[in-house]
Amino acid sequence: MLYGARGIYLRETLILRRKLFKTLLASAVSPALFLLAFGFGVGRGAMVGGQDYLSFLIPGLLTMASMNQSYAIATEINISRFYFKVFEEYLLAPFGRWQIVLGEMFYGITRGLIPVAIIALYSLFCGVSLHFSPAFFLALLLHLAIFSLLGILAAMIVRSHADQATVNAFLITPMMFLSGTFFPVEKMPLAIKAVASIFPLTYSTRLIRSTLLQQDNGNGLLYLLLVVMVIILFGLTKRIIERVEV
Amino acid sequence: MPASTTRDYPDEPGTSHLDNHHPEILVSGLKRSFGKVEAVRGIDLELHSGELFAFLGPNGAGKTTTINMLTGLLRPDSGRICYQGEPFVATAYEVRRRIGVVPQHNNLDRELTAAENLRVHGRLFGLGGPALQQRIESCLELAGLSEKRDTPAGKLSGGMKRKLVIVRALLHEPAILFLDEPTAGLDPHSRRKIWAFLRRINQEQHCTLFLTTHYIEEAEQLAERVCFIDQGRIIASGSPDELMKRTGSYVLDIYNDEDVDNEFFNDRATAMARLEQIDRTVRIRKTTLEDVFLQLTGKRIDP
Repeated sequence: MLYGARGIYLRETLILRRKLFKTLLASAVSPALFLLAFGFGVGRGAMVGGQDYLSFLIPGLLTMASMNQSYAIATEINISRFYFKVFEEYLLAPFGRWQIVLGEMFYGITRGLIPVAIIALYSLFCGVSLHFSPAFFLALLLHLAIFSLLGILAAMIVRSHADQATVNAFLITPMMFLSGTFFPVEKMPLAIKAVASIFPLTYSTRLIRSTLLQQDNGNGLLYLLLVVMVIILFGLTKRIIERVEV
Repeated sequence: MPASTTRDYPDEPGTSHLDNHHPEILVSGLKRSFGKVEAVRGIDLELHSGELFAFLGPNGAGKTTTINMLTGLLRPDSGRICYQGEPFVATAYEVRRRIGVVPQHNNLDRELTAAENLRVHGRLFGLGGPALQQRIESCLELAGLSEKRDTPAGKLSGGMKRKLVIVRALLHEPAILFLDEPTAGLDPHSRRKIWAFLRRINQEQHCTLFLTTHYIEEAEQLAERVCFIDQGRIIASGSPDELMKRTGSYVLDIYNDEDVDNEFFNDRATAMARLEQIDRTVRIRKTTLEDVFLQLTGKRIDP
């Protein structure tokens, strides 16, 4: 069953194993720098919503870094599609193309777990207590599924590697800074709040932070919202991938 | 083809029983444009089981577009493709299992070993377990790559990569193997090795081969039947001998000051008689497929 999705997952994870060290390094360095600059620099001694800034920042960094890793499959698909043309193997194989979406999505989820483990370690060093409950893992799963699907979608829509960089610059970078990773969205100007409200990262950051810090910020509604996003993005990606040609 | 491998695909719709009473491939009225460019302008084709067929034409003639439509990588604007009488549609997964594709590029995963590249392909086609392992070993052996099984594909020579791509396409035991410019970019020695390899596949595995090429020699050496394509249209087809006989089996190259004129003859005696009447430099030789194409279109395939 699902041999197409399993075959794709196998291929992607075999390649991931070959470059695991680089991926680990990339997942470790960027959050560490943000932690140093914002946590121990700008935000030293600050309080956000009654808690210290590090406790606010680390869940945000975990969400952002895992988003970056799961969305990064866009670049890999892009290279395999336009440069090495390995993606043709998927298009030729005898299964529905929705299995490509499924296989890549699970690969994106797997990649997204790497920075989670790294930032969990950082939190120990920083003395921040995080609660890795089933509610957190459910929220994380939905969050990673959303950004994996966005990555696949972006890779299917663009026509070149350069286009991919443009999408990243206009979508991912603003999302990183405006979705509540570093500062609470509520404290931002109205215009920024309006922009943040269209970014899925705003909602997944809020939910993941709530689960890690054992708070309730309307979590039930947030889960529902993320589930709806996964369903819509899966459907949309499936529709687009079915029309993809070489 | 022997059906010795276990497969895992119970969840797929669109499967059906194929029979042996229809041509292996039947194509009619195939068209495809890219914007205003008409790449393929109405192609009709019929291929029979076990044939070694070459699609010969210059670069940009529509060969790759045709092969991409026949393998489902491109959608035709119009026309019909049937495999053993079964219409080839997006959900025709049983038809897809009958097809193996060797693209123009060696689209291997460079970081993965030769065996891993084959393993991934097998899994994508629903193969698994000891049967897949057995197929991987026999494909590596067929390609003479058993000793390179654990070498990353990126570190193989050009000829080895090509062979690996070919056996990868054979791993799921397709009935038809499409090869798009199988020896493009290879040196003459590697090219000849690939030709011998393809002949072996055709004879020993009873696999129908459909190859595109712009190398005259490749078509002459390999194909039982050749189809000339130019500007998206088939302009002639037949066995290489038939095509050459139609033009004339012998040709005189008559050297002028700036150009070479050709005169074609059905037999050598007539050609020799004509040669003796000409007071310029003249060479007699057997007709090639390049001459046939030149006669049909007024231009060379590989200028």
